[in-house]
Amino acid sequence: MNNELTLITPELIIASAICLLILVNSFLTTEKRYTGLIIGSITMATCALISLIFLIETTNSSIFNNHYKIDHFSTGLKFTTYLIALFIFIGTKTNKENTKSELVLLEIFAILGVSILASSNNLLTLYLGLETLTLSMYGLVASKRSSEIATESAMKFFILGAIASAIFLYGVSFVYGLHGTLFFEELNNATINNTIEMQLALAFIICGIAFKLGAVPFHSWVPDTYQGASTSSALFISTIPKLGAFALIYRLLYEAFIANAEFWSLLILLLGLLSLILGNVIAIAQDNLRRILGYSAVGHIGFILIGLSIGSIDGAIAALAYLVIYILMTAAAFMSIEVISTEKRAVVTLADIKDLNSTHPWISLIMLFSMFSMVGIPPFIGFYAKWIILSELINSDMLSIALIGIIVSVIAAFYYLRIVWYMYFEKNELPIMKGSPNIFQKTSISLVGLSILLLGIYPSPIINFCRSIFSPFLLID
Amino acid sequence: MIIDQLIWIPILTGLVVLILGEKRTNLSYLLSLLISSAIFFLSVYMYLLFDNTLASYQFELKVPWIDRFNINYHLGIDGISLPLIMLTTFLSPIVIYTAKTSLKNKMHQYIASFLILEGMMIGVFSSLDAFLFYVFWEAMLIPMFLIIGIWGGKNRIYATVKFFLYTFLGSVFMLVAIIYLYMKTGSYMISDFYEVSLSLNQQILIFLGFLFAFAVKIPMWPVHTWLPDAHVEAPTGGSVILAAILLKMGGYGFLRFSLPITPDASLFMAPIMITLSLIAIIYIGLVALAQTDMKKLIAYSSISHMGFVTLGSFVFFIQSGSMDLNTINLAISGAMIQMISHGLISAALFLSIGVMYDRLHTRNIEEYGGIVTKMPKFSVLMVFFALSNAALPGTSGFVGELTVILATFKVNIYIALLSALTLIIGAAYTLWMIKRVIFGAVTNEKINSQPDMKLIEAIPLSLIAFLILLIGVWPKPLTDTMNETILSLSYLVGG
Repeated sequence: MNNELTLITPELIIASAICLLILVNSFLTTEKRYTGLIIGSITMATCALISLIFLIETTNSSIFNNHYKIDHFSTGLKFTTYLIALFIFIGTKTNKENTKSELVLLEIFAILGVSILASSNNLLTLYLGLETLTLSMYGLVASKRSSEIATESAMKFFILGAIASAIFLYGVSFVYGLHGTLFFEELNNATINNTIEMQLALAFIICGIAFKLGAVPFHSWVPDTYQGASTSSALFISTIPKLGAFALIYRLLYEAFIANAEFWSLLILLLGLLSLILGNVIAIAQDNLRRILGYSAVGHIGFILIGLSIGSIDGAIAALAYLVIYILMTAAAFMSIEVISTEKRAVVTLADIKDLNSTHPWISLIMLFSMFSMVGIPPFIGFYAKWIILSELINSDMLSIALIGIIVSVIAAFYYLRIVWYMYFEKNELPIMKGSPNIFQKTSISLVGLSILLLGIYPSPIINFCRSIFSPFLLID
Repeated sequence: MIIDQLIWIPILTGLVVLILGEKRTNLSYLLSLLISSAIFFLSVYMYLLFDNTLASYQFELKVPWIDRFNINYHLGIDGISLPLIMLTTFLSPIVIYTAKTSLKNKMHQYIASFLILEGMMIGVFSSLDAFLFYVFWEAMLIPMFLIIGIWGGKNRIYATVKFFLYTFLGSVFMLVAIIYLYMKTGSYMISDFYEVSLSLNQQILIFLGFLFAFAVKIPMWPVHTWLPDAHVEAPTGGSVILAAILLKMGGYGFLRFSLPITPDASLFMAPIMITLSLIAIIYIGLVALAQTDMKKLIAYSSISHMGFVTLGSFVFFIQSGSMDLNTINLAISGAMIQMISHGLISAALFLSIGVMYDRLHTRNIEEYGGIVTKMPKFSVLMVFFALSNAALPGTSGFVGELTVILATFKVNIYIALLSALTLIIGAAYTLWMIKRVIFGAVTNEKINSQPDMKLIEAIPLSLIAFLILLIGVWPKPLTDTMNETILSLSYLVGG
């Protein structure tokens, strides 16, 4: 028993941090606005360190009657989550909305959800993690209480999310009816898995997954929440939950239902293509910077799904690499938006970043890194993300899909270039007052921004890390 | 090692200039001028160390980069890349030098962009690993996009986005071809690609993948339309680098990738390539005749001249009977000389237009006339460059075009006659422009008050003029460098 608790140390630390934050919140005065972020950062740093130790020791174990699994995948994913969350906390600005540390509280709750998702070995545990994550996300979107758009988008998000969860649960109930078990290992049964009922169940489950990822046609909440939520919440929503959704897909499709790969890979491919094309094409027509990033997220998810649809471990490795890289780029973009927003005036539209190069050359350079990286131009890290997926596609004889992917990437280049041209080419007659970052935010945003460039120049660490997550043996060679 | 320094010293200097910021522009200016000149002398030193008698890669450097996919940081030069690298290192300090006279705002970012671009261009010409090549090839788009977009003319945003999307669309197909070749060979090394055996269909697909990238870059008709826009809107330095070096990358790509990797497909596609080259030479030449904007005229003239590069790279494929190695050798040498020569001449012409533009702020031919009465020294140089653009014997333009036409004569007399039309058309559009701009009566009041060219403006132009003349009368140093490499390339293609 003692051993089992040791294995979930990161989760326990996060849970304690949640209790501490609730307690602290009741006594917090407005002057101590950094308290929440400091607690959050320390928690994340500790958890990241512990997961790293687990990762090096290649701890492997199933606990709580096989409901909860500590393996290489879960530890690696948790480590990534905590590390990115650490940067996000350091880069978050404190202002009126998050003085009371509610924001950090909700975010840490969501991170707990991601941890549970990553470790789940049973559909119930999985659902527990999923709902912990999504419920905190609803709260995060709604946390900007004074704003009508935020409330509206939170409401939409909540209703759609509840429906998606219900559909997901409906599928799970099918699975239980057919298999009589919810444990992943026992679900992997080829005879049952190829029945039409099972395929129906899988289709329901995939609908739920697609919603959580924000894939077309379940994407409408993504641009809405990116636009409506406060910048700090948007920064979080656009990054960490995607890792949770990836865990969800991997655990379900690659572990529980791998016997059914032929069926689900087709569905995933279809969702991927739709997201890729629609997300990127719709983004062209947007003038709102955050909506652009929202639709771009849909497009990137399309690429990730296409990688997953290959159905091999190499495909999953490529998809995870793409996801981690995408999160780095988005974090850089939203952090830039976050630090140049002021309490009075949030950066929302393209016009708000006009001529940013003259007032904030460093921030706009990082934004430029992020944008060209999203286009997929080397030497930025985003290029390797696209290249790995393309390589795996060509390797699996899916040349036509690869061609669609690259043509859409070129179409998508237009709206990323548009962001760059507003920052660099447009002249601004009336300079708008923009915020200036403090030393911590500067450090955090610089680290994330430079990692886009430096990992691009030497990408081996990130490629090897993603490979090692799927199989510890690979770490050696 | 020396190539490594040629690539990274300019890029690091560029970063230093960015860090120094706008307040220390003068310091950055001097620093970058010093460093880029030093880089030029370093490349001269490399030229002196270069062994002309070897066809293999020299100064090779190979370090594992991405182990998982067998990608190496692999650099090296041969007779094809060395002249192009020299051209790059020669023109970069000149472009940085002229920044001072033609630029007002954010000069440190301008200089930094060019320094970073210089490193990347040298990287393109010296990469022996296809992946590394692609990284440099694409990365180059970013500084160029910013140069046209920030410091360009009125319609700059349209021009630069068009430039970016066109070239990006072209290159992604090349990426697919490269990945496909990697799947076949298990390596990204270019020389490994030469040895892979492919069926004709596979070859044609790979050829097309590369063709998209190189045809847009060079540019060939009908994917040339980004070039006039980009040239007109770009600042002087941007036009110089664009015409002198970026376009050459397409020609370099044909020689480095298309011909040796897919010789059968090249043979199969040669009639189409030759037709497109002739269209570029003749039709685009006629289009140039109709231009009213000087930069646009030179842009179209560039497309027309680059037609000779593609002609030289493909014309020997349609020889009747077995392929004659001498003809291949001659044609490819012609294409190479034409690239170097056009690099110098177009750079000089764009710089000259820059000199006039700084005074009168117009590029419209109609608003000029009688420049020679007020700026005689400048007119001497300008007329000289125009004559070399029209391939006057004794200038480098003549050597390049004549060599290609000679090789074409050996292959097919009709194609040769058609391509030789350029001697008439080229002379027509260039000299007619000169007549209207330099000679005639002064029609624009402003011209009367203009001073003649200052010494600082004369230095870069005279340097280029000297080189054009040198290659024109004594091309041996250039051809000697390339000979062995082109000979081994001929064997790969024809043997």
